[in-house]
Amino acid sequence: MENLPAWLCIPFAGLLLSIAIFPLVKEEWWEKNRPIMVALWSVLFIVPFTALFGPAHAFETVLECIVNDYLTFIVLLFGLYCVAGNITMEGDLAGSPRVNIILLTIGTVLSSVIGTTGSSMLMVRPVIKMNSWRKRRSHIMVFFIFLVSNMGGCLTPIGDPPLLMGFSRGVPFFWSMHILPILIFNMILVLTIFYFIDRKNYQKDIREGLMPDIRKPGTKITLKGLHNLIFIAMIVAAVILSGVLPDMAFMQNASGEVLGIHLFGEVVLTVPAIIECVIILVAAGLSFKTTKKEIRIANHFTWGAIEEVAVLFIGIFITMQPALMILKVLGPQLGLTRPIQMFWVTGALSSFLDNTPTYLVFLTTTGAMKYAEGIMTSLGYIPYNMLLAISCGAVFMGANSYIGNAPNFMVKAISDENGIKMPSFFGYVFWAFKILVPVFLIDTLVFFIR
Amino acid sequence: MKQYTHEELQKLAAKIYYLDEQVYMLLGSSLGRVFNIGRVNAIEDMVEKMEAGEGYVLRSELALISNMARTIQNDQARKQLMREYEQILNEVMELPDSQIHADILDKQRAELLSKASFTHRFGEHDHFIICIERAYGCGGTGIGFEVADKLHINYYDDEIFDEVLKRLDAEKDYIHDHGGFSYDRDALNKAEYIYADPDEVAFAQDQKKGLFQRLKDFNRYHGLSKRDAVFFNQSELLQNLALEEDFVIMGHCASAILTNHNIPHISIYLTAPFDLRVERVMHGNKKINLKQARKLVKKQDDTYGKYYEFFTGLDWKDAVNYDLALNTAAYGFQGTVDRIVDTLRRYQN
Repeated sequence: MENLPAWLCIPFAGLLLSIAIFPLVKEEWWEKNRPIMVALWSVLFIVPFTALFGPAHAFETVLECIVNDYLTFIVLLFGLYCVAGNITMEGDLAGSPRVNIILLTIGTVLSSVIGTTGSSMLMVRPVIKMNSWRKRRSHIMVFFIFLVSNMGGCLTPIGDPPLLMGFSRGVPFFWSMHILPILIFNMILVLTIFYFIDRKNYQKDIREGLMPDIRKPGTKITLKGLHNLIFIAMIVAAVILSGVLPDMAFMQNASGEVLGIHLFGEVVLTVPAIIECVIILVAAGLSFKTTKKEIRIANHFTWGAIEEVAVLFIGIFITMQPALMILKVLGPQLGLTRPIQMFWVTGALSSFLDNTPTYLVFLTTTGAMKYAEGIMTSLGYIPYNMLLAISCGAVFMGANSYIGNAPNFMVKAISDENGIKMPSFFGYVFWAFKILVPVFLIDTLVFFIR
Repeated sequence: MKQYTHEELQKLAAKIYYLDEQVYMLLGSSLGRVFNIGRVNAIEDMVEKMEAGEGYVLRSELALISNMARTIQNDQARKQLMREYEQILNEVMELPDSQIHADILDKQRAELLSKASFTHRFGEHDHFIICIERAYGCGGTGIGFEVADKLHINYYDDEIFDEVLKRLDAEKDYIHDHGGFSYDRDALNKAEYIYADPDEVAFAQDQKKGLFQRLKDFNRYHGLSKRDAVFFNQSELLQNLALEEDFVIMGHCASAILTNHNIPHISIYLTAPFDLRVERVMHGNKKINLKQARKLVKKQDDTYGKYYEFFTGLDWKDAVNYDLALNTAAYGFQGTVDRIVDTLRRYQN
């Protein structure tokens, strides 16, 4: 696999360009033909890959990414989408810069407790609802993706999948709390920028005569379907189990491999993955069974958003494989020895590739450098600053594009379904470039320059 | 390519608005819709875009409506609405790049010109509403009251603010409000010349408060600042009032609010030279010296000016924002009243 040609990444780039361009120029057509385009780009990767490495290897590669990456990804997303869609908030809190900052702060903190996906799914509708009186709303959802869907997940392994991988490789559970000062620093910067942008848009809305319905004295907020929090806890537990179980002795066979169903070649659907999926699907099923339909109607719950993400991401996961393979080969040869390099390279790659394997590549690379001190992991000692840089790069920079982290596209899709015109793929990247890149540059100067 | 008339574009815009309304109603969602700025404004906005050749903006808004329409559970209703959507989309696609005819007048200018004459402003069912803004200390309050009296219509000022506070279940403290300027409740001559710390104006930033009081206010004002909550409520009260009666309203950004909601009215701005206003303030309140009076007049003007700018985006002191701008010092109290009444009577239904 060492001589994998770089042109095999073209289908991945093609798919990203399709996601970016077709909704702008042929929206209707794209809506109808999305699955066909995804299949087309996937085939454009699979066919030459098969020609180069044989059908068995190609089948194994695709099956591996579907079973071990995509399956758990989409089941988790599906579960949280279902359960969060069964919790609704009714009330007359008016979306204003102040209220939005409070909501974004709550969401960001919650991300480290229930994960970026869980927090995003839980908070996205209340944020949309409170701001439903406003005309200019897309920037709110963009900052929501920045903070709630990405940055907030940096404090615990539950927050974001890369950190869970780190945890399963021996990084202590609460080690990520070392990122807290950076998160607070970034929250202050990003929320301050948000405040001024939102205030300007809020003023424009008011000046056009828009106003919230606040006729009744006092704010009444009612949360319905709150029992679903139990199911969210179930899903969070399933995610933790998926990180913990593979290291347990009873989950391994005599040769130390994780137990599972052997599918093809070296592809194994592991028991921990099965347990995770079953728990999540049971939680989703129970959530539907125990929640009234009216709640889903009020939440404008549809299958459209999850369907869109499921279709696009299966293509992204498949076509992304050559890029990940090249990364695995080239990553250790890049000669990255300083935190600043780790932060930017891990981050830049995590912006468009799956951040979990990216994180693992650079964690493994650092572990192989034979450092004598640092955080002890199964991959070797990882110096504190290097781990900090890899973790921050992987988690923070997932916000740089819609495909950087799982919930990003979900938030976009849900917003699109509720009358909010979200930026296009490149439009969003431009937002990230304008707002986040300067923030990350400041982070570099303050935290990663040494 | 067919050129559409203004009326045809209005009809098309109305169809789009209706489609959005239908979709939102059928969904039963509480998360908002595409056009949330009110029917008249939304239609006007769309027509403007179509006339300016920005049909592509409209197409993306239509796409948002269709996104929502596709999620309607009821098959029959969904199909029906999607058919309507397709028809509308075809019409929008037919729009030429620009609807601007070579000989059409600058719309804004045309609007301004029509504002210069009150003749066609009020329809048969419209109420006669006079919005007065005035610089602090120019005698505007008394003039406004007198104008209302002569026209035999109601005069509103503090009442609006008091009603809003009642709605919000907020205590009045000791400060009242006069069209955006504060006054001390116990002042003998509160109607005209007052002396209160402008920081305590209802519309000024909230004062420092403890956590409990902050939480209480957060709940009371729906998460908004007191200033914003008061503004939104008074906007709504004004709109309701405009449906019921003729009146004169002092301050409160009334003209901008009514303009935003397409409610016909006449806007008047009263001012006077700074030194004369300072003199009047001193004359009315013997407790303050010249320096204090100058500071007060400047601060009150600045506070209200900022407030006005925040909510309207307009310069409060700019005469072009009004139908009539008068220097009260040039005509005196009665002269100003007579001049305004003479002008208005000609157009009062």
